[in-house]
Amino acid sequence: MPRIYDHVYPFFKLTANNIRRHPIINLISIMIISIAMLMLALYFLAYINTDRVVSTWRSDLKVAVYLEDDLSPESVARLKDFCLDLNEVVHLDYISKNEALSRFKVTLGKDSGFLDDLPENPLPASLELLLDAEVADISAVELLARQLQRQSGVDEVVYGSYWLRQLFSLLKMVRYFGFIFASFLSAVTVFVVASTIRLSLFARRETIRVLYLVGATRRFIVMPYLFEGIFQGAVASTIALLLSYIGFSYFKLWLQEQVPQWSIAPMLEFFNIYSFLTFLLLGTLLGVAGFLISSHWLSRD
Amino acid sequence: MIRVSNLSKSYNYPNMVLKDISFWVKQGEFVYLSGPSGAGKTTLFRLLFADLKPDAGQIVIDGLDLARASANRVALLRRQLGFIFQDYKLIPNYTVFDNIALALEISGTPRRFIQKKVWRVLKIVGIERQIERLPPQLSGGEQQRVAIARALVNDPKIIFADEPTGNLDAEIANEIMQILHSINARGTTIVMVTHNRALLQKFKRKVFYLNRGSLQAYDWLN
Repeated sequence: MPRIYDHVYPFFKLTANNIRRHPIINLISIMIISIAMLMLALYFLAYINTDRVVSTWRSDLKVAVYLEDDLSPESVARLKDFCLDLNEVVHLDYISKNEALSRFKVTLGKDSGFLDDLPENPLPASLELLLDAEVADISAVELLARQLQRQSGVDEVVYGSYWLRQLFSLLKMVRYFGFIFASFLSAVTVFVVASTIRLSLFARRETIRVLYLVGATRRFIVMPYLFEGIFQGAVASTIALLLSYIGFSYFKLWLQEQVPQWSIAPMLEFFNIYSFLTFLLLGTLLGVAGFLISSHWLSRD
Repeated sequence: MIRVSNLSKSYNYPNMVLKDISFWVKQGEFVYLSGPSGAGKTTLFRLLFADLKPDAGQIVIDGLDLARASANRVALLRRQLGFIFQDYKLIPNYTVFDNIALALEISGTPRRFIQKKVWRVLKIVGIERQIERLPPQLSGGEQQRVAIARALVNDPKIIFADEPTGNLDAEIANEIMQILHSINARGTTIVMVTHNRALLQKFKRKVFYLNRGSLQAYDWLN
C-alpha cells in the first residue's frame, strides 16, 4: 500500500532536479525577485517607521513661547499662569536665557566655542509648553499659538505646526503612492516567477512529454513547479529581509552619528516577528501566483 | 485487448492520413504495423496511446474508449502500458536508474520496492552495470535497452514500440528484437511499428500493412 510519502517524494525529487538542472534560471529569478522584495521591504520599513516617528512627535507636541528680553519676574509669572490655565497645556517649563545658552552649547558640542566670544547672550528666555495630544490637534495648536502671540511680553511662538502638517500630508502621500508602488512591485515579482517557470517549462518540454507518456497526470507534472515557485519566493524574501536588515541597521547607525540631536534613531525599529513572517508569506504567495500563471501557460501549450 | 473500429484521421481535411481503419489485437499477440514512409504508421501509433484524437472511429484498449476517456483516465491507462520509441525518449539528465524509476514513482510505487523492480528489468535487458550512467554516456543500443526496461518496469499489459530498431545497426537490432520477443513470450502484448522488411521476415508475426492511410494487407508471414 503506497504511503503519502511515496506520492509526495517524486514531487520533491522533480522540484530538486528542476532547481539543480537549471541553476542559472533559478538564480537570476531569485535575484530579480529579491530586488523587488527588497524594495517592498524598504518601502514598508520606511512607512512603518515614519508613521511611528510622526506618532511619537504628535504625542509629544510642544510649543515654544519666546519671551521679550528684560521681562520682569511678575510678567513671567503672569504668563506662566495664563498658560497653565489653558486646557491643552499639561506641563510647562521656564527656560531662562542662561539655560537656553547652555542647551545650545550642548547641542553644538565641540563647535560651541564661538558662543563664549559673544559680547552678550543672544538667546531669549522661553516657556516650553507640553500639550495634551488628545486635545490638541494641529488646528487647535494653531489657535493656541495665535492666542499666546497676543499676550504682552511674548516675542514669538513657535509650534512646528507647519512642518507637522507637511509631514502628515507626506505620510498620506507615501501611503497612497506606496500602495501603487507595492502593487507594481508585486506584479513584477509574479511576472518574473511566471516567466522563470515558463522558461523552465520550455527547457524541459521533452521531459514533460516523457512524463506524460509514462502516465503522469497533469497534477504530477505541475506540482514541482508550484514547489519551485514557493522555493523562489521564500528564498528571495529571506534574502530581501536579510539585506533590508543590514541596510536598516547601517541607516540607524548613520542617523545616530550624524543627527543625534533629532533622537530619531532609537525610535526606529525593524520588522517585528509578525511582520517578518507576513513578509515571508507574501514572498511565498507571490511565488505561488507566478506558478498559477505559468500553470495556465502549461495547459495552453 | 485492442480494438480499432472505423478509425479516420486528417491533419488537413480532406487529405486523410488514415481512412476507415479497423483491426483488433488479442491479448498476448505480437503484431507489426508496417508500411512505407508516409503511410500513416506514426499517426496510427500516436492515436493508439491517445497522443492524438481521431476524427472518426473508436479505439478501445483494455475496455477504455480513448476518445471518450478523461485525461486522468488516459494517464492511468498509460501506467499499464509500455512505450518504446526510435529516439528512446529518455530524460538526458536522469541516470539510467532514475529514468526507469520515474515510471514507478509516477504510479505511486512504494520506494522500498522501486530499487528491486528496477534491478529486475535491468537484468532482463542486460544493462545492470550502467545503472548510474546518464543516457548520453550510453550507446544507441544501450539507450534502447533502458527504454525497454522503462517500458517493462510496471509489468505492462501492452507494449507499444515505434521503430525501436530504427537507429540501431543490424546486430543490435536483432538483440533488441530478441528481447521484445522474450517479453512477448511471457504474455505481454506487443504492437510494433516498423518498415524494416528484413526484421519482418526474420521475426515472423502478424502484420498490419498500411499504405496511403488504408489498411491494405493483413498478412501472416509465418
